[in-house]
Amino acid sequence: MIPLHGGYRIISRLLPIARVASLFIFAGGFNGISHAVEMPRRVVMLNAYNLSEPLSAASTAARKRLLERYRGLIGIDVDYLDLLRASDPDHEQRTAEFLRKYAAAPPDVIMTFGSAALPFILKHRDAIAPKAPIVFMAVSPENYSLLKPPSDVTGILLDLDLSRTLSLAERLQPNATRLIVVAGSTRVERLWQNIARRTIEAREKKYDTTYLFEMPFIEVVNELSRLPADAIVLMTSFLVDTTGQSFVPNTASVTFSAASPAPIYTPYISQLGKGIIGGFSETFEGAGEAAADIALEILAGKSAADIPPRRNPDGAYRVDIRAMQRHGLDESRLPPGTIVMFREPSVWERHRVLALTASAIIAVLTALVFALLIQRYRRRIAENLLKESEERMSFTAASVNAGFWQYDPATRELWTTPHSARLFGLSSDALRTRDAFVSAVHLDDRTLAANALETSADTVNDVRVVMPDGQARWIRIRTKSHGERGAPNRLTGIFIDITEQKAAEAEAHQKREEVAHLMRVSAVGELSGAIAHEINQPLTAISTNAHAALDMIPPGSDEFAELRETLQDIIAEDNRASEVIAGLRNLLKKETKSSVSFDVNRLVSETIRLLNSELVARRITTSVELGEDLAPLFGDAVQIQQLLLNLMMNAMDAMADTPPAQRHMKATTRNSDQGTLEIHITDTGSGMPFEQKSRVFEPFYTTKAHGLGLGLTICSTIVRAHGGTLQLTSESGRGAMATISLPAKALLVAAK
Amino acid sequence: MAFTVFIVDDDAAVVKALSRRLRIKGYETLPYTSPQAFLARHDPNVPGCALLDVAMPGLDGLELQKALTDGGSQRPVIFMTGKGDIPTSVRAMRAGAIDFLTKPVRDEALLEAISRAEKWDSESRQIQAELATIESRMNSLTPREREVLSYVVAGQLNKQIAAVLGTVEQTVKVHRRRAMEKIGARSMVELMQIMQRLQPPFHQAGKPLTRRSIDNP
Repeated sequence: MIPLHGGYRIISRLLPIARVASLFIFAGGFNGISHAVEMPRRVVMLNAYNLSEPLSAASTAARKRLLERYRGLIGIDVDYLDLLRASDPDHEQRTAEFLRKYAAAPPDVIMTFGSAALPFILKHRDAIAPKAPIVFMAVSPENYSLLKPPSDVTGILLDLDLSRTLSLAERLQPNATRLIVVAGSTRVERLWQNIARRTIEAREKKYDTTYLFEMPFIEVVNELSRLPADAIVLMTSFLVDTTGQSFVPNTASVTFSAASPAPIYTPYISQLGKGIIGGFSETFEGAGEAAADIALEILAGKSAADIPPRRNPDGAYRVDIRAMQRHGLDESRLPPGTIVMFREPSVWERHRVLALTASAIIAVLTALVFALLIQRYRRRIAENLLKESEERMSFTAASVNAGFWQYDPATRELWTTPHSARLFGLSSDALRTRDAFVSAVHLDDRTLAANALETSADTVNDVRVVMPDGQARWIRIRTKSHGERGAPNRLTGIFIDITEQKAAEAEAHQKREEVAHLMRVSAVGELSGAIAHEINQPLTAISTNAHAALDMIPPGSDEFAELRETLQDIIAEDNRASEVIAGLRNLLKKETKSSVSFDVNRLVSETIRLLNSELVARRITTSVELGEDLAPLFGDAVQIQQLLLNLMMNAMDAMADTPPAQRHMKATTRNSDQGTLEIHITDTGSGMPFEQKSRVFEPFYTTKAHGLGLGLTICSTIVRAHGGTLQLTSESGRGAMATISLPAKALLVAAK
Repeated sequence: MAFTVFIVDDDAAVVKALSRRLRIKGYETLPYTSPQAFLARHDPNVPGCALLDVAMPGLDGLELQKALTDGGSQRPVIFMTGKGDIPTSVRAMRAGAIDFLTKPVRDEALLEAISRAEKWDSESRQIQAELATIESRMNSLTPREREVLSYVVAGQLNKQIAAVLGTVEQTVKVHRRRAMEKIGARSMVELMQIMQRLQPPFHQAGKPLTRRSIDNP
């Protein structure tokens, strides 16, 4: 299929070339057989009248159709016979002579337009193109039958349908009684006069009929002007009046319709638009195309004799709506299918594009306006929300004693929330500039503050601000930098008053320091106690031996005086040493212990709070389970806190190798069944192996690289001093639990 | 038999020095560096005292004192301590210690405590001997004499005792005289003194004999 198709396309493309080539080859010497080869088709169109005559539209339409079909490859000659110039009797002969130009190369088809052209060509064909078939157009059936043309003459019969035109008039003017018929005086028009008479007589409805035939033009006009408005005027063509005066086609009808109060009807479409109502008409364009179709058939090879004359296919009721309106005729009475012409086009129809464009523009503009309104509405909502949000934010910030700020290093402009000014001790009406803020900062921190408001990194700086009353407050400046690195960035940030936080931190720090000091003192005390014991042993032996030696010296013997003195010195020095030890012990002996009532739960919570920063740093979570209705404990609260701190620090140290997610310290307080108060400190650390467990309370026993090994010894001492017990239970690898058991309401044993 | 000081301290140098010092002063000494060794070889009949270190591994001084007392021994005890903490000393003194010496032990304090212990021990032993004599005399009484005597000690008159026993006053007098002769009481006052030193059931009103009551009359 594909190669075949391709082959066809090539042939069709080569065909015109082949034709032209053959023309060159055979045009000279082989004239005689020129018909045998394919020559371009030629058509001669003869118009009965001149170019201004409405009929010319028919030849134009026909020419267009032919050219379309042959894609321009067809020869068409057009001549205007101008047969209405009746004043010159030789005109017809001269025209015929002129047309003999076609005799040398006769056309394939001769087409005639206008009824007068057919009798002309029939008469002169033999001289012009004897064998050319003729296709006529606009010949009435009556005229055709009168002419009796030969068989190779065919074409389109133009039937001016007076009967149907009159029917239209009857429908529009059912009450009319008078009928006036107007016709010109040409040969064809005289034929029409007869047709008109016969038609009207054949009609069912009878009228008071006046035939304005064979009258001078002016008289026709006079007659028409005297008509009543309800009369019907039926008109054929009026090209020439009885005096021989000819009129440019349709000019007569203009005058007639202007003069006549009664509506004028005509089957001639060409007369519409000049005041005539209308009628059953055919268009010359339609007739021209139909004639061209016949010519095409003949050109295609069909014999003209096989094509009988046809009726113009586009006959229809056609009316001028303007004329109808002028005569007050009801449009609703028109028969169905009526083609209403010259309807005053509506603004819409007249300016369709303009209207469409305008509407489109209006629509777009309206949409735009709406969009803008909606946008504006949304923006207002957004602005309100933003404003609310900002107010809320400012309020929230102010409630937590914070302020927001934003700084553009390029313009050196600082924006802040109003509360920020208060944070920096600036008066509420002062300008909130960067310089104002920086100069409110304590001299020592001013560089820090200035940098914080100009940095290109995210920073947190704590600065001191001296308030107007001389009080210093701590302000934390958090800075967030936006934008590319290197370029001057826009900065946003927060001012937060952290004075209380700083104070709490300082307090906690101090408390920790105190406890740490206490631990050191206790450690030294414990240490010196242990050392004293160890040293006192040899001191005892030395002193006792010296005394024994003294007793061994015989009394009163001078030779041993030196020895006695020596031994006495030894005893004296021994005494001095023991006094030093005793003095040291007294010095480090804990201060008189206070025995007060205190709340264990509060002490436990407070101790955990003291360790808070350390717990956070070591990523240890805590939980506290405090028993209810615990009896108040009597004793030294500082010592008990020291004990708790020590045990908690031990628990924290034990979890150094525990994964952070599992690091957890738990503190529990409860009343035990034995009537004692128990405090448990549990960790999730490595626990203790058995041999370790048995030694932890021994002084100087430690598992820590830098431990003294006195922590638990001190703890044990403290607990014992309060009449309680301290136990460590542990499962190796599963954490440990320290249990402090204290007698409720116990008094310090040492205080008894 | 010479007065013996039993020295118990885990520090051998201290034990040796103390032993030397006391021997120079004329005391017999028995040095021990472990409380267990001391307990195992202790003879309560040897007159003397114990010089004990409070802080010793295994068995501390206070526990050792308790062990002695529980064993029926009335051996006077002197404690030595390197720490001198008050609660321990209080407990020790309550348990009947002669003294509580702080290390380094001063020579005078040591000798004074030892001599006090010697005195206490000899007195204690004398009392024990007297009691033993009285007890043997008491054992020589007939049941009737013993019965009569118990009423006499309780302060009953001869006539009353005769009524209770269902006999005559003369018979009671005879029993009474014989009993007093056997015990060795020449007067009623002497009898009462002797009887008071006896443990119940011979007299209900008397206090039990303790070292303290001897030490601090």
